[in-house]
Amino acid sequence: MFRTRKIGVVAAALAVTASLGLAACGGDDSGDSGDGKTLRLWHYEGPNSAMGIAWAKAIEDFKASHPGVEVVYEEKGFEQIRQNAGMILNSNEAPDLMEYNKGNASAGLLSKQGLLTDMTEEVTKRGWDKKIPASIATTSKYDQNGVMGGDKWYGVTNYGEYVMVYYNKDEFKRLNLQVPTTLAEFETVMQKFKDDGKTPLAVGGAEYPAQQIFYQLALSQATNTFVDDFQLYKNKVNFQGPEMTYGATKFAEWVSKGYIAKDSAGVKAEDMGVNFIQGKSPILISGSWWYGRFSDEIKYDWGTFLFPGNTLQAGSGGNLWVIPTSAKNKSLAYDFIEITMKPEIQALLGNSGGVPIGADASAITDAKNKELIENFNKINAANGLAFYPDWPAPGYYDVLVAGMQNLINGSKTPQAVLDEIATPYNDNLASIGK
Amino acid sequence: MANTRSRRGGKGGYLLFLLPGVLLFTAVIVIPLIMNIGISFTRWQGIGTPQWIGLDNYDRLIHDANFWASFRNIIFIIVAMVVIPTLLGLFLAAVLFDYVGKRIGPGTASVFRSGLYLPQVLPVAVTGIVWGWFLNSSTGVFNSILDSIGLGFLAQNWLGDPKWALWSVMFVMVWVQLGYPVVMFMSGLQRVDPELYEAADLDGAGWWQKFTRIAVHLIKPEIYVVLVTTTISALKIFGQIFVLTRGGPGNSTLVPSYFAWQNFFEKFNAGYGAAISTVLTLIIIVLTYVFLRIQTADERRGA
Amino acid sequence: MSTDTVTKAAGEPVKPVKPAKPGGLATKTLVLAGLTVFTGLVLAPFLVVLINAFKSSEDYSQGGPLALPSSIYLQGMIDFWNRVEFGEKLWNSFVIAASVAVLAVIISVLNAYAIGIGRLRGRTAFLMFFLLANLLPQEALVYPLYYLSKQFDLYNTRLMVIIILTAIQAAFGTYLLSSVFRDFPPSLLEAAALDGAGKLRTLIRVVVPTSWPTLSVLFTFFFIWTWNEFFLPLIFLIDNDLQTVPLALAVLQGQREVDITTTAASALLGIVPAVLFFLIFQRTLTRGVMSGAVK
Repeated sequence: MFRTRKIGVVAAALAVTASLGLAACGGDDSGDSGDGKTLRLWHYEGPNSAMGIAWAKAIEDFKASHPGVEVVYEEKGFEQIRQNAGMILNSNEAPDLMEYNKGNASAGLLSKQGLLTDMTEEVTKRGWDKKIPASIATTSKYDQNGVMGGDKWYGVTNYGEYVMVYYNKDEFKRLNLQVPTTLAEFETVMQKFKDDGKTPLAVGGAEYPAQQIFYQLALSQATNTFVDDFQLYKNKVNFQGPEMTYGATKFAEWVSKGYIAKDSAGVKAEDMGVNFIQGKSPILISGSWWYGRFSDEIKYDWGTFLFPGNTLQAGSGGNLWVIPTSAKNKSLAYDFIEITMKPEIQALLGNSGGVPIGADASAITDAKNKELIENFNKINAANGLAFYPDWPAPGYYDVLVAGMQNLINGSKTPQAVLDEIATPYNDNLASIGK
Repeated sequence: MANTRSRRGGKGGYLLFLLPGVLLFTAVIVIPLIMNIGISFTRWQGIGTPQWIGLDNYDRLIHDANFWASFRNIIFIIVAMVVIPTLLGLFLAAVLFDYVGKRIGPGTASVFRSGLYLPQVLPVAVTGIVWGWFLNSSTGVFNSILDSIGLGFLAQNWLGDPKWALWSVMFVMVWVQLGYPVVMFMSGLQRVDPELYEAADLDGAGWWQKFTRIAVHLIKPEIYVVLVTTTISALKIFGQIFVLTRGGPGNSTLVPSYFAWQNFFEKFNAGYGAAISTVLTLIIIVLTYVFLRIQTADERRGA
Repeated sequence: MSTDTVTKAAGEPVKPVKPAKPGGLATKTLVLAGLTVFTGLVLAPFLVVLINAFKSSEDYSQGGPLALPSSIYLQGMIDFWNRVEFGEKLWNSFVIAASVAVLAVIISVLNAYAIGIGRLRGRTAFLMFFLLANLLPQEALVYPLYYLSKQFDLYNTRLMVIIILTAIQAAFGTYLLSSVFRDFPPSLLEAAALDGAGKLRTLIRVVVPTSWPTLSVLFTFFFIWTWNEFFLPLIFLIDNDLQTVPLALAVLQGQREVDITTTAASALLGIVPAVLFFLIFQRTLTRGVMSGAVK
């Protein structure tokens, strides 16, 4: 009895499969062929982030100024774009405009492969090159080897990000501490917290935060020449030189003095953030991308200051708007970027906790947000954006994570760690013929 | 018996049944495999024109300490994904099928089975987050429990200490894998002819003896399948490493697949990635071949 | 069924050893308690997912992952559903998982029939050939399959994912079934042959129904494995309206931030169908169909 029933089930399943299989074939006809009626737009900012809010408004404005044009917006996963951008852009599926990561290993690589539109002409025509500060423009421009700081615009960014110090004002008040202005004062502050029985710094050693602290410490001894050498390969970098040595030994010292917890090697960035939000550690050194969440979730009084004593700070322009070479409606894409540059959109970005490049500071209403943007302008005025330590070589992120974990765990000396992170850097130099 | 059967109609008739499979596998597996081997002789960034560099990638591989370290780690992963789940799974399947199923009720047995299988259903990304909560050194469940029962000195930095990270990953892998052998073995046990058990009962065999002498013997096909497939997936392990440790701290949990992935998609060094995965594939093929030969020999002896 | 046979057997005259065997109330309770504790521990992580699925992000940040939610928060789940059009994702996952499960079982049965029952020469070689799909690390397949899919206009289609995963899952199925079919009762095959049944008829009328429990286990595995597949869909499904549940979860993992509570909520949304599916097929798994059919 059940035999016939089962054969029925199989037959039905087969029929369903067959029809689904056929239906699935229809997935890839994208329809638009440059008719100027559709803008396909991708980005990977969450809807509640500063950029997510600003871009949503920009889409609205775009629709208003382009009646009859349909905007097909898709929110993408960061991982999908990071891993597959090359494959997607090398096919017929590329959108007209998308957000993409800046840096040699991402936008640089794709520009070298000819997958991104050279926007130089349009950028000058529309005057964007005047609006974007030089140190931010570095990550938008690439040379023919795909190295940033080149002469052609392959992307446009209109916000920034930088690493700063977040601190718990209530805790500072409790111990009667002032905002430090030099590294020595900063160390005194941390020692006070240590003496009080608290680990001063929240650190995530399993991800990006630890290497950014190391980099900030190295930058405290560095000049712009060092940054250009390290990031733009102007000259060879000596990893046993004074900057890196200071960064690594100071970092190790902070671990041994207990400013950085010995068990933070396995802590993810997310846990580090929660640790700070809960008030377990009074200080956190990380980027402006935390700002919005801290505003929403921290219950105590908190503030930010620039890493004390540094003129150079880890940070950069934001992710880029790029136009794939195979995009079908490029002029619409330029129009959209134009809208994201408008002061209203930039102000919205700033008021939502982002770091705009083109906002009138007087248009920012919240005092704390204003401080965030003013600090950024301070860095920019001193040409002080030093990018991030993992940028110079593809895959360098994992190398630095491993190196910092070795420092935190004390399993290698600072000298050994510097040798360890020098090798992949120099291998990369060799592979691009420098 | 087998001979009379296969002679009737000839073996050629059976070959026809292989046709769809062979076509599909050639297109989806064999051709890409050959392409991948081709890529391994080039320097290539995944797009653009590959540049032929002969055996350079393999030469580099032999001298790459990380590559060898990743194979040392795999041995531990095999213990966690193959040895422990198979043994524990056999025991649990036996208890559930033979004892709980027969004396308490098959419904109860299947509730337990579902429970044990559930970790296999959880998406890998979520597995990473959840185990992060458990293994976190300062706020994690494990250390909190150890603290609260006065064993705080046993608390460890489970994922952040190179001494413990691999063990922690192994523990998570046992958790992930256990349900698979349990389900496989329980379905195999259903094929065991109850008359064999009756006969054994008459001989006065105890439960454990019946289990080892009859059940384990009769579900050998499943045991082999579990051993072979879990060994393969242990050698290929990627997702859990990616979400738990990304090969860290300090490469102490690096595995070949993650190493290959880094080269393919992080360093855009597809040629080197292809070389790593070609070597890995070769090793898996050799191991599987050895397994299959042992299985075939064993079946002949059994027949 | 097997249970009946055992109880019947118990009624027959047996040696006096029998009553001493486990089965007393104490043993029963002990075994049950042990299993319950063990399974409970295995399931503990799910409890934590459940707790966090109903928290707001703020609640999570204040209390950490282990505190109970201060109030039941559903908005995250609802927002997420709308944000990624989760219904569509469920449907895509279902279409892909169901198609792969059905097709892979069929391919497995055909292959295993030839290898296991047909006893072709060079069995190991054939098995190795098919197992290749399972042996190859997936990342090695990505670039070649990408270029092939563009060649055949299959890039960014569900069909491409179905084809690849069918081959990969069928590798496992072929191996399992070939092993099991080697022990297939010859009496059944001979009976069919005496009735004048051809090979195809024998396959459909005798082999498939008899091995139904194994087939349904395969079907369940294939469905769930495909459901959770992340890597290949990530590469081959570009348009959001073709994407599957695990890909939808990935939008919550940003460049530098993770939305943990929504991830927990969406994980819950994503595993419910898979769990339901498993529970439904459990019933088939527990029926001793094979032993029944042999008699």
